[in-house]
Amino acid sequence: MTPISALLIFVALILFIVGQLLLKHAMENGLGSARFAKFFGGGLAAMTVSFFITLGLLQHFDLSYLYPFQGLSVVIISLLAAAILREKLTPRLFLGAALISVGVIVVSLS
Amino acid sequence: MIQKMKAFLLSPWFQLALSVIFVTTAEVFLKRGAVEAPRLSEELNWTGVSGLASANVWYGILFVLASFVSWLYVLRFIPLTIAFPLSNFVHVLIPLSSWVFLNEFISIQRWCGIALVLCGVLIVAKPVARMEENL
Repeated sequence: MTPISALLIFVALILFIVGQLLLKHAMENGLGSARFAKFFGGGLAAMTVSFFITLGLLQHFDLSYLYPFQGLSVVIISLLAAAILREKLTPRLFLGAALISVGVIVVSLS
Repeated sequence: MIQKMKAFLLSPWFQLALSVIFVTTAEVFLKRGAVEAPRLSEELNWTGVSGLASANVWYGILFVLASFVSWLYVLRFIPLTIAFPLSNFVHVLIPLSSWVFLNEFISIQRWCGIALVLCGVLIVAKPVARMEENL
């Protein structure tokens, strides 16, 4: 793995996470409002760029190599939703998210 | 009767389940479509554009769009800390449908990973189910 591919994997993961958080925030606003349009557009753009970076990475790496990074998104999204969107994150919810992340990583390593 | 039906269809939990089922259905169609797609020259092949010649790929795309719409509906009502972990149930459903519909092989280690994901989903889902009962 070169520094550039490591950076691309990181960027694709961050953009996917940011996209989910932006879409969530958009849907909490009125569907026609300017705030909704701004966050929805941002979320959609982030998801789209993440999708194409991932597609490009798949040319060079096996899916099983790239998938563990995707698995991490569950834990990170839960933590950031709690920190930024002020959602309630109980220890139980965090444990569930962590188990899912580990499970996805185990699946992709097999 | 119609009122009850409507309430059920508009429940964010039902939409979350739909979203997960749509994603899984999309993946099976996309895999079938990708396999039957004509092979282009090496330089063009990586993009997967040749897949657009297959009807299965278009069914897959329709299901992807449907899952996105249900997911957006879910986001309006359910916190991300609950909805996103639950949506990872696709990591259980997709391997199972690859096994059933595409005759793919699942190794022991893969079964273990699937079981871990299932445990995580159940841990998140249980208090939510109790919360809903009390409503």
